[in-house]
Amino acid sequence: MLGPTVAAYLVLSAILFATGAAGVLIRRSPLIVLLALELMLNAGNLALIAFARQHADSGGQVFALAVMVVAATEVVVGLGLIVAMSRKKVELDVDALTELEG
Amino acid sequence: MTAAAWLALFSPLGAAVALAVLGDRISRSRAGLLVSGSVLVSFVSSAYVLARLLSEHPEQRSHVSTLWTWLSAGDLQVGFEILVDPLSVFMMLVVSGVGFLIVSYATGYMRGDDEERRYHAYKALFVFSMLLLVQSGNLLLLLVGWGMVGLSSYLLINFWHQRRSAVAAGKKAFIVNAFGDATVALGLFLVIQRVGALDFATVFGSAEAEIGRSNTVAVLIALGLLGGAAAKSAQVPLHTWLPDAMEGPTPVSALIHAATMVTAGVYLIARTHVLFELAPVVLHTAAVLGGVTLLVAGVIALVQTDIKRVIAYSTMSQIGYMFVAAGVGAYGAGMFHLMTHAFFKALLFMAAGLVIHALAGEQDIRRMGGLGRELPRTTRAFLIGTLALAGVPPLAGFFSKDEILANTLDGGPLGIVLFVFGVAGAFLTAMYSFRLLFVVFRGKQSEHVQHHLHREPNEGPLSMVWPVGVLAVLAVVGGLVSVPGGWHAVDTWLEPVSRPLVHPAGWMEAFSPILSVCVALLGIAVAWRLWGQASDLPTALARRYPLATVALERKLYFDEVYDALLVRPAARLAVTLERVVERPIVAGSARATAGGIRGLASRVAATQSGLLRVYALVVAVGLATLVLVFISVR
Amino acid sequence: MILASLAGDVLVWVVWVVAAIALLASGFAVVLFRNPFHSALALILNLGSLAVLYLLLSAEFVAAAQVLVYAGAVMVMFLFVIAYLGGRADAPWASSQAAVRVAAVVTCVVLLAEVVLVIALDARDGLSSAAEITEGFGSPRELGRLFLGDNLLAFEVSSLVLLIGAVGGVILGATVRRGEVEE
Repeated sequence: MLGPTVAAYLVLSAILFATGAAGVLIRRSPLIVLLALELMLNAGNLALIAFARQHADSGGQVFALAVMVVAATEVVVGLGLIVAMSRKKVELDVDALTELEG
Repeated sequence: MTAAAWLALFSPLGAAVALAVLGDRISRSRAGLLVSGSVLVSFVSSAYVLARLLSEHPEQRSHVSTLWTWLSAGDLQVGFEILVDPLSVFMMLVVSGVGFLIVSYATGYMRGDDEERRYHAYKALFVFSMLLLVQSGNLLLLLVGWGMVGLSSYLLINFWHQRRSAVAAGKKAFIVNAFGDATVALGLFLVIQRVGALDFATVFGSAEAEIGRSNTVAVLIALGLLGGAAAKSAQVPLHTWLPDAMEGPTPVSALIHAATMVTAGVYLIARTHVLFELAPVVLHTAAVLGGVTLLVAGVIALVQTDIKRVIAYSTMSQIGYMFVAAGVGAYGAGMFHLMTHAFFKALLFMAAGLVIHALAGEQDIRRMGGLGRELPRTTRAFLIGTLALAGVPPLAGFFSKDEILANTLDGGPLGIVLFVFGVAGAFLTAMYSFRLLFVVFRGKQSEHVQHHLHREPNEGPLSMVWPVGVLAVLAVVGGLVSVPGGWHAVDTWLEPVSRPLVHPAGWMEAFSPILSVCVALLGIAVAWRLWGQASDLPTALARRYPLATVALERKLYFDEVYDALLVRPAARLAVTLERVVERPIVAGSARATAGGIRGLASRVAATQSGLLRVYALVVAVGLATLVLVFISVR
Repeated sequence: MILASLAGDVLVWVVWVVAAIALLASGFAVVLFRNPFHSALALILNLGSLAVLYLLLSAEFVAAAQVLVYAGAVMVMFLFVIAYLGGRADAPWASSQAAVRVAAVVTCVVLLAEVVLVIALDARDGLSSAAEITEGFGSPRELGRLFLGDNLLAFEVSSLVLLIGAVGGVILGATVRRGEVEE
């Protein structure tokens, strides 16, 4: 295999995942939370494809494609919700949504 | 043939279930008809089975039919099976035959009761339980029938549940019977441990090899069975429930507490005689218990004033005879007496029921008297029953009782003692039974009688009268089935199942009837002297021996002793436990747990801020912790 | 020959480093930009650099799908929505819950450290050498065979998930419209 070893890709994936997770936890705008979620999903995809290469098994790539499908669906639903919130004149701030309070 | 036996078993159950399901969608009279019809089906099926058995060779008259494997625990297999053999058919005929007459009688007796249908359903359930008991092909199913008989007896005794005394009597009967059930169960555990099976053929076949003779285990098994038998058959010292059980409706007393259930103990001994014979000590104990019971009950019956209680003590006394017979190994004689006793004791109860019916529920014989002129048919029926009970030839009781007495004479030294007991019992029997007859039907009419009889002068509806007539005929001729010195049909019939241990010689069969008839006549004469005519002798006697009178009226203090030894300590223990354990520990811990959970919950609920990001953070922290765990356990 | 291989290796390294820097930088940018519009643009760059990395990992088909589906279709939808809502600024650090923020960052760093530790523990033996791959690895032909063969169920379930997502999106939009009419 040319270039760096799989471990390097995995470290990249881990950093990307942590970045995305931090974004989800820190940001208040639901739009950016969604974007950060995409980062996390893609970090997972990168790890999957790196492992696929490591084991010379295309199954990992199939898995990654399935994750992309899930990600696309999630974006559709998430954006639909955000649009609905905006139409209902709900403030676009995840901290404003406290109806789950016990 | 086994199909007919199954039909006989399940027909009353079907009636009971149908009544339970239909509720008040079935009319009261139809409910009674349904139950008597179902018991009639049982009787006809039993008769058919008898006919089929008769056509077979005596040694082959044993058929087991298994519906399914009911219980399978390791090597122990217990089937839902019935055994058709001479003994079970004999019992089936007695139970369903006498049962049919009594159930028919009950449709008249209970007419107009608010809960007539419930009564009929219970009665059908009882007949089913009793048939299950006598038909079962293994000891476990027998125990099931045994327990169900106790249950339906309980339900019927406190049928009039508005009466506190009836409820108390039902509880007493159930508890004493449950004690017996428990000892039987303990015996069965030992059988399982030793033999590893519960069906009669295997147990009896390998009992001697697996259990041994006269060792501790054999004695314990037989004692367990004897405990059950004594409790169910109201033998001293487990007899206290039977007199109280007279709180139930009179047909119940006739069916359960005279003709069938209380004789189950005799059946149990005859059925499991193989196990008893492995422990002769216990078998002799049974005989001694029977002897003691027949005397004790006979003496107590002399002073009781409730018409049904007198007959109840008489029942105990007669079952004492059966125990004596079974205890010396004269199983055929015991079963014969069981049958004739079912006839004349059911007759007595039902005739007493007619009296009670005519007097609007009065049961105290001191408030009766002079009924002979008003109720001639009832009087005749009662007279026949009394004569049969007292053992006057040629009525049924004469043959069966004297067969027992003749058999005891062959039973060695113990047998001689039992014979003396039995003869003394015959004297007492004649005395108390004629006392009852004289006091109720002769003499001056009491005010109560005049008050009630003239308002309602009848001897009951036809449905109550004809079963009494049939039973009266049976009480007269039923004894001819087996005549000492002549033929022994019952013995011969039961021979393949339970071979008797004693064989009375000719002189015994001649001597004992003559002696006992003389004694009985003497008893009747004494009764005549005391109660047959206006006389102050009874009161004079009572004044002369006040201690004895009070002791007898208190039924020899059995209830008081049990109350002091068992009931009150148990009640005190319960109260103490309630105060020391129940309230602070059981209820307290429950309350503390509930309070703690509630406090915890409110604290946990406070962390539910509704802020999504906090939730996500918690998830992330959890994930980080998990990964840490995985790394460290790697 | 060796020289050519060495040159290829160096080239791959260079491409990798560039792609990795672009990846991380754009990832941070997504999280840190105040304007969602900018964040979305950064995410497109992020997805593009991921596609490059996929290519280096011989996942040609996934890389193509990444660019077409993700960077193309999905992100266009994102941009549409952001444009529709108007890119409202959202200061990443301004918050009433400062403690949560600090805890979040700490948690993420810890998580990263843990994962890197795991990778490092395995880097020497398991992850040091990759298996040899055949020519068809990652090709549309092989993926198609896998999708319609071994993973047929997963494939069908994915299509179902997409369908449900589409229906959900429509319903979310439609409900709101009806609500507006009622108002």
